[in-house]
Amino acid sequence: MFPHDAVIHIVLAISVLLASPGRSQAEPVIQDYQTELIEQARQTHLADEREWQLLLHYGVDLFGRAASEEDDEGFFLSPRGKFDPQAELDATIAQFFLADPVGRSKQPAQCAFIARYHWLKERLQFDPHRLAPLECGRFDRWRAEMNPQGVSLIFPAAFLNNPASMFGHTFLRIDQRGQTEQTRLLAYTIDYAADVPDGAGIEYAYKGIFGAYKGFFSTPPYYLKVQAYRDIENRDMWEYQLNLTPDQIDRLLMHAWEMGNAYFDYFFFKENCSYHILSLLEYANPSLHLRDRFSLWTIPADTVRAIIDSPGLVGAATYRPSRSTIIKRKRALLTDEERSLSIGLMRDPDIAKESLFASLPLLRRALVLDVASDYLRYKGETDDPEVTVYKERNRRVLTERSKLSIPSAEINIRPFTKQPDVGHRTTRVTLGGGWRNNDTFEEASFRAVYHHLLDPEPGYTPDAQLEAFAVTVRRYNQADRVRVERATLINILSLSPIDDLFRAPSWRVNVGMDTLRRRGCQLCDNVVADGGVGAAMESHVLNREVYFAFAEAEANYSKAYEERHRVGGGATVGMLADVTDRWKLMLSGSYRRYPFGDKSDDIRWYVGSRVTLAQNWAVRMDYNHRDRDNDVVVSLQAFF
Amino acid sequence: MKKLSMLAIVGMFVAMPGGFALAAGTPDTGPGCGLGKIAWQNYPNAKTKGAQILIATTNGSFGTQTFGISTGTMGCTDDGRWWAEQKATMFAELNSEALAQEMAQGRGEHLASMATLLGVAQPQHAAFFAMAQERYAALSGAGELSPAAMVQALNEGISVDSSLAKVALN
Repeated sequence: MFPHDAVIHIVLAISVLLASPGRSQAEPVIQDYQTELIEQARQTHLADEREWQLLLHYGVDLFGRAASEEDDEGFFLSPRGKFDPQAELDATIAQFFLADPVGRSKQPAQCAFIARYHWLKERLQFDPHRLAPLECGRFDRWRAEMNPQGVSLIFPAAFLNNPASMFGHTFLRIDQRGQTEQTRLLAYTIDYAADVPDGAGIEYAYKGIFGAYKGFFSTPPYYLKVQAYRDIENRDMWEYQLNLTPDQIDRLLMHAWEMGNAYFDYFFFKENCSYHILSLLEYANPSLHLRDRFSLWTIPADTVRAIIDSPGLVGAATYRPSRSTIIKRKRALLTDEERSLSIGLMRDPDIAKESLFASLPLLRRALVLDVASDYLRYKGETDDPEVTVYKERNRRVLTERSKLSIPSAEINIRPFTKQPDVGHRTTRVTLGGGWRNNDTFEEASFRAVYHHLLDPEPGYTPDAQLEAFAVTVRRYNQADRVRVERATLINILSLSPIDDLFRAPSWRVNVGMDTLRRRGCQLCDNVVADGGVGAAMESHVLNREVYFAFAEAEANYSKAYEERHRVGGGATVGMLADVTDRWKLMLSGSYRRYPFGDKSDDIRWYVGSRVTLAQNWAVRMDYNHRDRDNDVVVSLQAFF
Repeated sequence: MKKLSMLAIVGMFVAMPGGFALAAGTPDTGPGCGLGKIAWQNYPNAKTKGAQILIATTNGSFGTQTFGISTGTMGCTDDGRWWAEQKATMFAELNSEALAQEMAQGRGEHLASMATLLGVAQPQHAAFFAMAQERYAALSGAGELSPAAMVQALNEGISVDSSLAKVALN
């Protein structure tokens, strides 16, 4: 039996023998393993692999060099990282051996760039004894709070009355374990948005287009997004469940986490919210090539279609109606008497105490009160000065409602327009021919984006038109001339049918050029800017018809005019009719008087007709009459 | 009438497809750590609770920093239980209108989400909704409809009804 202290001495001696050489050789061992890993990565050309390109957001710049879309220096571990995938890979491996905090989020590289770490660990089979894995508590807690089970793509429909929302938006929702249809509000989302300073004015325009704002990823809870889109902006939302494996969901979250380290310059047309959401999905499943379709601009609705077109990626689609859709659908369930009671309640909640109301069956009383409450909540979110009055009335309506002591019936609210994925694509090419006065012509048009009132309507916000960057080239046969016939910089038209509850104005704005015949000039360029405010109503005689009237102002510049310009105003009335599901008609007539410049007036007629052939194909006929100038075009349109 | 200024031709240039958020006077939460930090900052001193986020949501946007990723923990605290309890109050605060409406109507997704946050199991949701409707009538009779009062009333309703007994907070 050894004495105790003898054992201790032996143990100490052994540990000194083992420890001391180890300590002195620690640095070289790490150095060796680091060099070995970098060498191994170079030999297997990891820097060229799609995953590495996706992780670092490499693309090709104007000079054909590799360049990352990422603009935050803190995102790169090598000073040359933005332009050199290999240097970045070498530096990343080296940094994994250190625990120093890096990036905006100040974490060790293994945690700050956790997606890179996991991918490289797997590809290079890191030896845990020579490259010790670090605990990433912050990431673990974040992921646990997300509690992920699935991912959904959320698309709030386009909304013309807010410049930020004209083309729609997309973001991801991380569906939680155990979540139901009723509790999905509690899930977190992954959203990419530009950080625009408070009170930004006109500079917001060019800064947004030319990338002067920084875009960041963030994770607001879904209920705040629903509040913003459904309740405040009144936009329908579509939720597409994505089929991702648990492994792919993890990759997505890890990459989102590392994107929290950095910003991209936000480019309105291309590198916008939808573009970066596609990037995230591509890293989750690198076999997806979702961004390939988008070279110059990325329209959110087009990205939804790109995702849907990827075989097997999308599961069920769920519709989430806007508040105004809910009100319109529920209102349609009321009888005339109930409807007038409901409108009465919106003005005076005490009507609920009167005998006429009390004579309704219990469930009908609940429905009438619910419509009144929905409407008062809708009004409570507007910038109406009476907001507090509406809120107070809503409180009284709800008090009456709670006294009925029955739950509201479950009502399935159907959308007024089909889901966005069945819509046409947004770029349009047109070939056509026709007559103008005594001449014939052929023409070709290109429109960059987005939707005309006569384009096939499924999937688009009803009665809303937004066209930008369009040009038409025409060849006149007798005159033997080829010329730019029309060009559109921007053409927006928003019709909001008015009824006893909804009273938004309709409006339109147009800037572009067209061709006019005036005095001696047969085919003259005319630059025009015009706009108007008006009102619209709808009926359902054939299928659905919308009537509109605008008061307008217009300015023209052309050498065909005396003093080269004429400025004035007038009015337009017209109608838009869905004759059948495929056939749509538009008729309008305008009168204009120009008291400034070339003093004159104008009467115009327009008849447009469209027949949809397929999701991305349509035939159009347009007849334009303008002051003894008649123009008829028949054309075939393709959307891509 | 909302955005008639939009009539300006420049409106188009201002158009941002998706996600162009106007940072609207969100509180300076520093390098944000999400919802939890707001709870952390505002709740102990009550009163203005989440009001700033409400301002931000009213304008349809949030400062991206408020819910920034990886610049902090989601709950801004290592105490998961504290955060789990705060979540229900935060939710009520940020969804008070929807919650009030659905309590009065005796059903709805905000109410169901609230039930989940308060630990009421799925099969008991219908009973929870009925209790919420009854409590709403009492609250509004007393003229006390603040989010805090609603949460308190729901909690009391749960504690006096053994069938709604809490399951463990997640």
